[in-house]
Amino acid sequence: MPWQTQDFAADSGPTRYRESPLALGLRRILRKRSSRVALFVLGVIVLVGLLAPLVAPYNPAAQPDIVGLKDLPPSFAHPFGTDPYSRDVLSRVIYGARLSLMIGVLATIVSLTVGVAYGAISGYAGGILDAVMMRLLDACLSIPRLLLLIGVLVAWPNFSIGALVVFLGLTGWFGLSRIVRGQVLALKHAEFITAAQALGASRRRILWRHLLPNLVSPIVVAATLGVAHVIVLEAGLSYLGIGVPPPLASWGNIIHDGSDQGATLWWMALFPGLFMVLTVMTLNILAEAMSDAYERR
Amino acid sequence: MLRFVAQRLAQAAVIVAIVAVITFTLIHLAPGDPFSAVMDNPNVSEAVRQTLRVQYGLDRPLPEQFARYVSSLAHGDLGWSYSYERTVREVLGTALPNTLLLMGVALVGSFTLGILIALIQVARRGSVTDHALSGISLLLFSMPDFWFAILSLLAFTYWLPIFPVGGVVDPVMHEYLGLWGRIVDRLRHLALPAITLTVLASAAVARYQRAALLDVLPADYIRTARLKGLTERQILRRHALRNALLPIISLIGLSFPALLTGAFFVEKIFAYQGMGYAVVSAIGTRDYPLVMGGVIIGSIMVTLGSLLADLLYALADPRLRGR
Amino acid sequence: MTAPLLSIRSLRTWFYTESGVARAVDGVSFDIGAGETLGIVGESGCGKSVTALSILRLIQPPGRIESGSVIEFEGKDIVTLGDEEIRDIRGNRISMIFQEPMSALNPVFTVGDQVAEVARVHAKMSRKDAWDRAVEMLALTGIPDADSRARQYPHQLSGGMRQRVLIAMALMMKPALVIADEPTTALDVTIQAQILDLLVDLQKKIGTSILMITHDLGVIAETASRVIVMYAGEVVEEADVDELFAKPHHPYTEGLMHSMPHIGHDQERLNVIPGTVPAPTEWPAGCRFRERCPYSWERCESEHPPLYQIGTSHVSRCHLAVEPERRNHPHPPVVVEAGVAAA
Repeated sequence: MPWQTQDFAADSGPTRYRESPLALGLRRILRKRSSRVALFVLGVIVLVGLLAPLVAPYNPAAQPDIVGLKDLPPSFAHPFGTDPYSRDVLSRVIYGARLSLMIGVLATIVSLTVGVAYGAISGYAGGILDAVMMRLLDACLSIPRLLLLIGVLVAWPNFSIGALVVFLGLTGWFGLSRIVRGQVLALKHAEFITAAQALGASRRRILWRHLLPNLVSPIVVAATLGVAHVIVLEAGLSYLGIGVPPPLASWGNIIHDGSDQGATLWWMALFPGLFMVLTVMTLNILAEAMSDAYERR
Repeated sequence: MLRFVAQRLAQAAVIVAIVAVITFTLIHLAPGDPFSAVMDNPNVSEAVRQTLRVQYGLDRPLPEQFARYVSSLAHGDLGWSYSYERTVREVLGTALPNTLLLMGVALVGSFTLGILIALIQVARRGSVTDHALSGISLLLFSMPDFWFAILSLLAFTYWLPIFPVGGVVDPVMHEYLGLWGRIVDRLRHLALPAITLTVLASAAVARYQRAALLDVLPADYIRTARLKGLTERQILRRHALRNALLPIISLIGLSFPALLTGAFFVEKIFAYQGMGYAVVSAIGTRDYPLVMGGVIIGSIMVTLGSLLADLLYALADPRLRGR
Repeated sequence: MTAPLLSIRSLRTWFYTESGVARAVDGVSFDIGAGETLGIVGESGCGKSVTALSILRLIQPPGRIESGSVIEFEGKDIVTLGDEEIRDIRGNRISMIFQEPMSALNPVFTVGDQVAEVARVHAKMSRKDAWDRAVEMLALTGIPDADSRARQYPHQLSGGMRQRVLIAMALMMKPALVIADEPTTALDVTIQAQILDLLVDLQKKIGTSILMITHDLGVIAETASRVIVMYAGEVVEEADVDELFAKPHHPYTEGLMHSMPHIGHDQERLNVIPGTVPAPTEWPAGCRFRERCPYSWERCESEHPPLYQIGTSHVSRCHLAVEPERRNHPHPPVVVEAGVAAA
């Protein structure tokens, strides 16, 4: 009978060449036009910041003529105008890019470190420690980040940029630690399932081989968004006067300097803000593209 | 259901307690004395300094200070604001309702507007309108709140003077206006800050709600609704929205912190005398008790907000109601 | 013979995907008569579900009905109807029940509301009247205590009950045709039997036709009066149910019959049809079953077989109809030989 069972190898279908999830994700991100544009714009801003000394037309701290050159609206000589101390706003914005971006990145690194550590420990430990840590986390989340920072920074009369970075970082890890904890928890349960197969030493290997790949994408997305948040936050704090100390230039600082008078000098509000919006927008676009790319596994 | 409420209230209480600990730690973690601005200031009267010493036990050991702190909090005593020369409670007490009004209007407005925008976007998926609205949402979402506020201040009070420049009410005329006049006056002063905050917040809501709707649309029960012969619009409004509203309720709880900080900036910029305005001015004068009072009240508001959102969610989702 | 209820001719529904055009339904034609139960049987990927969705124009992009016609009893072609007219048909004159009762009901509305909604939409009934009718319908489908059940939410009902709700929903407007797409596959075996009995019973009571789509020959045997076998987007055999089981013609149908395990037979291994369904983006030339067929020969590769008439109401898409002696020379199917080499 032709329908009796026969021994045959299962049909495996055409093989697709292996691609690391990282490469695949990257390709997907770059496929969207919005991501390419965002990456380009962000790249330009970063480059400008990095090369600030070469790009800025004037010294951002120079106050050449505090009587004659102050509060000038945009002109050819000063495309972004001058501030109440006769400093060139364009140069300050360029140096501001450098400072604000640097603060954003460094603070985010702090946040990532603390967040991953906290979440991993909490998830791995489990039990009472986990419960306590999570309650603590809830409480931290209940204090609006800006308020927390105001509370801390007002108490310190003169803090350095380093301290600012640390504080910004220490207030931004809450959400990420939750995500990390979730992954670790899921892994713990999976561990028990494969307990029979796992050898003593391979537990760590499983953790390494399974934990990290799953975490890379949420961490990268969180980091991107984190930088955006810190930039906005630092600007807000500088605007309130408790952020980057003068005479250094940061985007928020410049807006602060321009708001001292009743009617704001519009060019001092507009230009730093525009750069901020551009930077944050590009970061948001990239973060969204990244999370889209990795979700479609 | 009652058990759920009790549980969440207990949790909220625990959180507030932890917040108290955190704020206390903050006060004393700083190098130097947070009260030095007060204590060393020759303009501050001895009576005030004495009050502070007594209240905070500034010369006593730390644990005792903490105990005093907790007990004063329990009595609702938030300290003395030397810059306003009144108790913190008084200052914030008069300012808080203004902030609540502002936040309330912004909350309702932003969610309504955001949901509407999301519905329009989903109904015309892929069209120019959809892309344009997405772009605008992204733009507003990426804007720092204070910058947007400054721009709208410039735009609508300076260049196109439609709204009053600042304040909650007209400083001169308010008392002389009749009831209706007073309401209108308040509204005129509330309008720009509220609109600014609303527009910013609705961007986030629109993005979130759009994603939630798109998540719901491929669901099987949507297909069932289509099978029944409902129009796409009916399906969107009746079936998809109702399900997509559930995650939005969680968003209400999550948006309190952002609304609060947004309100802070908006109040400062528009000189709207709410809690944010008080706290921001306290920064300038280093009036630490007032700042901490603001932090505590702010945290309590956020906790309550998220509690309310959780309760609302439990009410709205029939799958949770049974418990 | 009375005019058929539904007349499908050369239906083609294609999906335009990144990996190519998937011709899920590629030239399907059949009739459904009034009051009869027509079964469509085939494995996953053969196009039976897509056919059903096409009848009600529920195909979403990237798929679309490429060509063909679906003529209903008033003579109108469903494929070309306007949106409003199609909505008038859905749930009203043709309705459908699906495989997954779990997720087919909206979790935030009561069961009664959802069933009543059909009447409110089509008959413009008042809330009360629609609700009463819904409760009636629920009771008819065998749900005990229908009135209080109707006030419950989907998550409070078992799978079998949810399916009954969906059946009630489908029958609210006493449609002329009910399409049942794997209605029992997701249910427990004992519930399966109950649901099938219910369908047959209701059909007699209300007089609707049923289009029963399934991969399970047992379900076909129990419910259908006529059967269509689909493979690779085409109809490969059509016959009355008894004839199909007694004298299957197409080698695919044969294979299906033989792969059914029989209780009471000693079997060491399950019989399977070797190989898998080809990808719908690349239907092979000639006969699409050729590579898995034990009887195929050169003609099968060069000539795509039409539907040959082999009995009064029995057709089969196989060249064996004109060269029946080839059935005496079975050989290992092409895919087996290729598979062994690729191992």
